[in-house]
Amino acid sequence: MIAFLTKRLMHAILVMLVISVIAFAIQDNLGDPIQQMVGQSVPESEREALRERLGLNDPFHVQYLRFAGNAIQGDFGYSYFYREPALDVIARHLPATLELVFGATLIIVLLSVPIGVYSAIKPRSPLSRFFMGASIVGISVPVFLTAIVLIQIFAIGMKVTLFPESTAWGSWLNATLSTEGGMPSFGRGQDLVHVVGYWDSNLFSAGGLQHLVLPSIALASIMLPLFIRLIRAEMLEVLQSEYVKFARAKGISSWRIYFVHALKNTMLPVITVGGVQIGTMVAYTILTETVFQWPGMGLMFLDAINRADIPLIVAYLMIVGVIFVVTNTIVDLIYGLVNPTVKLTGKPA
Amino acid sequence: MTFNKTLLASLVGATMTGAALLPMTANAETLRIGYSADPETLDIHEQLSGGMLRFSHLSFDPLVRWTKDFQFEPRLATSWEQVDDTTLRMTLRDDVTFHSGNTFTAEDVVWTIERLKESPDYKAIFEPIASAEAIDDTTVEITTHEPYPILLNLATYIFPMDSEFYSGTTADGDDKAEIVKSGNSFASRNVSGTGPFIVTERRQGVRVDFERFDDYWDTESPGNVDNIVLTPISENASRVAALLSGGVDFIDHVPPNDLERVREADGVNLVEIPGTRIIGFQLNEERIEAFQDPRVRLAVAYAINQEGIAQRLMRGFATPAAQFSPKGYSGHNPELTPRYDVDRALELMAEAGYEDGFEVNMIAPNNRYVNDAQIAQAVANMLARINIDVNLRTMPLAQYWPEYDTRQSDIAMIGWHADTEDSANFFQYLSACINEETGAGQYNYGSYCNEELDALVATADTETDPEKRQEMLREAERMLYEDAGYIPLHWQNLAYAARDGVDAEPILNALDFPYLGDLVIEDAN
Amino acid sequence: MTTQVSTTTRWARFRDSYLLYSFKRTWSAQLCLAIFLCLVLAAFMAPWLAPTNPYDLRQIDILDSELPPFWIEGAVEHYTLGTDAQGRDLLSIILYGTRVSLVIGFGAVILQAILGVTFGLLAGYLGGRVDAILMRLADIQLSFSTLMVAIVVGAVVKATLGSSFYSQYAVLMLILIIGLAEWPQYARTVRASVLAEKSKEYVDAARVMGLGSRRIMFRHVLPNTLSPVFVISTVQIANAIISEAALSFLGLGMPETHPSLGSLIKSGFDYIQSGSWWITLIPGAVLVVLVLVINLLGDWLRDVMNPRLYKG
Repeated sequence: MIAFLTKRLMHAILVMLVISVIAFAIQDNLGDPIQQMVGQSVPESEREALRERLGLNDPFHVQYLRFAGNAIQGDFGYSYFYREPALDVIARHLPATLELVFGATLIIVLLSVPIGVYSAIKPRSPLSRFFMGASIVGISVPVFLTAIVLIQIFAIGMKVTLFPESTAWGSWLNATLSTEGGMPSFGRGQDLVHVVGYWDSNLFSAGGLQHLVLPSIALASIMLPLFIRLIRAEMLEVLQSEYVKFARAKGISSWRIYFVHALKNTMLPVITVGGVQIGTMVAYTILTETVFQWPGMGLMFLDAINRADIPLIVAYLMIVGVIFVVTNTIVDLIYGLVNPTVKLTGKPA
Repeated sequence: MTFNKTLLASLVGATMTGAALLPMTANAETLRIGYSADPETLDIHEQLSGGMLRFSHLSFDPLVRWTKDFQFEPRLATSWEQVDDTTLRMTLRDDVTFHSGNTFTAEDVVWTIERLKESPDYKAIFEPIASAEAIDDTTVEITTHEPYPILLNLATYIFPMDSEFYSGTTADGDDKAEIVKSGNSFASRNVSGTGPFIVTERRQGVRVDFERFDDYWDTESPGNVDNIVLTPISENASRVAALLSGGVDFIDHVPPNDLERVREADGVNLVEIPGTRIIGFQLNEERIEAFQDPRVRLAVAYAINQEGIAQRLMRGFATPAAQFSPKGYSGHNPELTPRYDVDRALELMAEAGYEDGFEVNMIAPNNRYVNDAQIAQAVANMLARINIDVNLRTMPLAQYWPEYDTRQSDIAMIGWHADTEDSANFFQYLSACINEETGAGQYNYGSYCNEELDALVATADTETDPEKRQEMLREAERMLYEDAGYIPLHWQNLAYAARDGVDAEPILNALDFPYLGDLVIEDAN
Repeated sequence: MTTQVSTTTRWARFRDSYLLYSFKRTWSAQLCLAIFLCLVLAAFMAPWLAPTNPYDLRQIDILDSELPPFWIEGAVEHYTLGTDAQGRDLLSIILYGTRVSLVIGFGAVILQAILGVTFGLLAGYLGGRVDAILMRLADIQLSFSTLMVAIVVGAVVKATLGSSFYSQYAVLMLILIIGLAEWPQYARTVRASVLAEKSKEYVDAARVMGLGSRRIMFRHVLPNTLSPVFVISTVQIANAIISEAALSFLGLGMPETHPSLGSLIKSGFDYIQSGSWWITLIPGAVLVVLVLVINLLGDWLRDVMNPRLYKG
């Protein structure tokens, strides 16, 4: 166990080191931060003085070592744009992203388990076929397109005139398919409830929740089909196994077999994949947040790239790196706890 | 500690947010503003930017300020007279106090001018001023090196600071007056001005709270706003959504794509104002020989459909331009109008011997001006018609300026707002022959050079008779137009929107600095 | 064994194969293949099919911008699907855009496959330290999402080569970025099948015969690991097309002058609030159909070939 954790820690440090060097190496060509900080008519000599003062003229390794030394002490420097410690800026944007991920995860869990189990139990039923068909469509629609379509339908509204308005059924169909719009599709709204520290929440007010709905659905859409298919596949496998057959022979009710015995064993690989996927979901938030202008870390990152806000870019990459490494480690640990046959040693599998 | 609650309040206030904070107390009028940017700092001399100037008009007062039609309105200075060619004497109000309680005197004006001359962002603009002297408590004399006709334009930038408040050293031993770029100076955290609003709380990038200054000198002002909450909402669509959903009362920079939506929405009003920022292109004569031929430059000018861009891409949100100076500026020449004519352009190309055209590359920013990338692409399409094949690259602002500075492309887009609100400024930065020493033509990407034109502008710049000066500048605009030394597209409009009851129109101007001290809110909801 | 000289022709073997047998009996697979081929053909025939050449800037008039498609009032006849904000014919630009997306998708997958198969073979066959290093690398990269890696790789490429070089060779750059971001998928799959193949008798036999490891790897082991590679390739093409669209949507991919489907969707998104939905949603629909048929084909292939895929 300790060996495993040490190994993991080394792994994490290696990852962070690689990220920091890469992030640092790309900084020069991301743009000139000085341009952002001074007025248009400021002469070059003043710019040069500022550049010198900020240490932007030092050789690469000097700048990197200075950065790394500070980073170890939790100091990622000041964001050029926000004029605040980069970590503070990230901390302020983090709750928005986490709430979005939380909303999406909730949708995924609530939908994928029942649908996945159902389509495993009744693989040939029309409903299961529909779910499987829908899930492959879901995989094929990129997350930003889902988001745009959601905005068009629920926020802007859609007036359908496809069917002949003169006939009763036509006008009925048109009216049924048309949508009013009006759902909020931009930002977090004004009804935020302050919880603690940097955490202002969308979760505790009607207005806040309304703003969370469309972005969460969009973000969930990318993972939901994967999970449905995964749960179905695992469940099918489990249902073929000897012990389920045995349980059936013993006369245990099918409901109990499905939801107590089979589901428990299904969830193991699902949790593994799920943990890793929730880590990658943080990356998909970049797309979702861009479309919905959700003021979370993803949007902040993209803005930072456009503004050449180097300390913020580097800090973001490091933080996301930490999130990935931590989720992966936790997943491995859970896997080890739930399934004792997996040995938590450092040996490559 | 009567007024300087900034620090403490920001600690307390760090935990609050949004509209939830604002219980509507009985008669107090609160204005909730959603601006595209908040002031970068509280030190008004640290950075020259729109956001900072807006803030200056909230917590400070200028000596004089612009009216809607570009006249001067007395503020802290009540009258002024030219003593001789280089000296301006200004009489100041005697009933003004700073937020700190100190009395405003001529010494504060002198102190402020000296500080402006130290500021990296302002020193270039204030270079013409040689010195300032306090004659008595309410009289100040400003002397320039040369006769300087637009000294009053500069006076709109002089927001007297509380010299007593900003003098001395902090507990850490730092000079309270020092200007530190992106640093943590005393002045960047503490304010004492004469303006209508006191900063009560500030979180960079989150919100700034203001409270009306009880002892504000301008008792004539109709303004009835007691509190202001300024929230920066940098994303265009979010800002519009915040207004439409009632989250804020007043927003700036409504994007062209949302104008229709805001115009038609119930309960909000759109206020559109022709702006003064010229958007246009510069042709690099150093790299493309053809651009040294005035006929080719004219062909480019003839090939561009300014009206089409203003109507389609900008949705009427721009005034098509054929010169630098917008209406209201002294140099604006009403005779110069856009001249879209592809046939004429082709003729000119043929005359110059370029009927087969040539290939160029073009750069433009994609997040600086309204619809900048789309405009650049449209211009590229238009130039294709006269056989100039454009290879367009667009990039974010942070990459654009370094790229622009290298002058390694053939055509570049630039928008320019004259900091002095004066026509000569355009010429000095954008079209003057490049001179490294004087800094002339610092943004003359194309290395266009017309010494006759430069001489005319130089003469105008020392001409103190406004009539004669205006004539010269108009002539300068005509010369540039005929020589096509700069390819203007349009002046980008400004659009604000406010909810019903917030009477924004009277306090807005083409300068993009709303005079919120005079804002009237009619209802009490 | 595939290594033996066969008396039957390849075509005959294909004709008798289960693959073809199944294909003939699965109407959905036939339909998908038909749609896919139509799209590919249309895209590559774009210069002949498209009513206008959207790369020829002379034909574009700003006054024709934002015209709606034919079934909506205000449409202009020769712009069947309407125009975009620049006044480009939407049908033409979509055809050209699909071609760009396909080229990048296929290109990236070929690169992924080359890298992944090589590394997978090396790791699986040589084992030991090579295996450990390569798989650790794959682990690290897989623990980030493709998009994240692509953004970072993109930034590095842009930084080292300069943004002007980048936009000039945007297609190649995107192939490179997406190719580099997804090779571990192949490497893991190939490594798993190599490990399974390695213990088989024919490998031992080849080794006893004194054949070198390179020869054994590429001539004997590789052909037997190809069916899973083939299967994941379809899914990978779909993924690569989506990744490219996502990068372009973020403004980090194809420039709007040479748009892919993703950059078309992005440029249209600015206009969706003002009611011009077609600029973004029609290219969006084409993208979805393209990716969907590839995914459905991939699904069918997996069911038919049932290879040992790396799970989890």
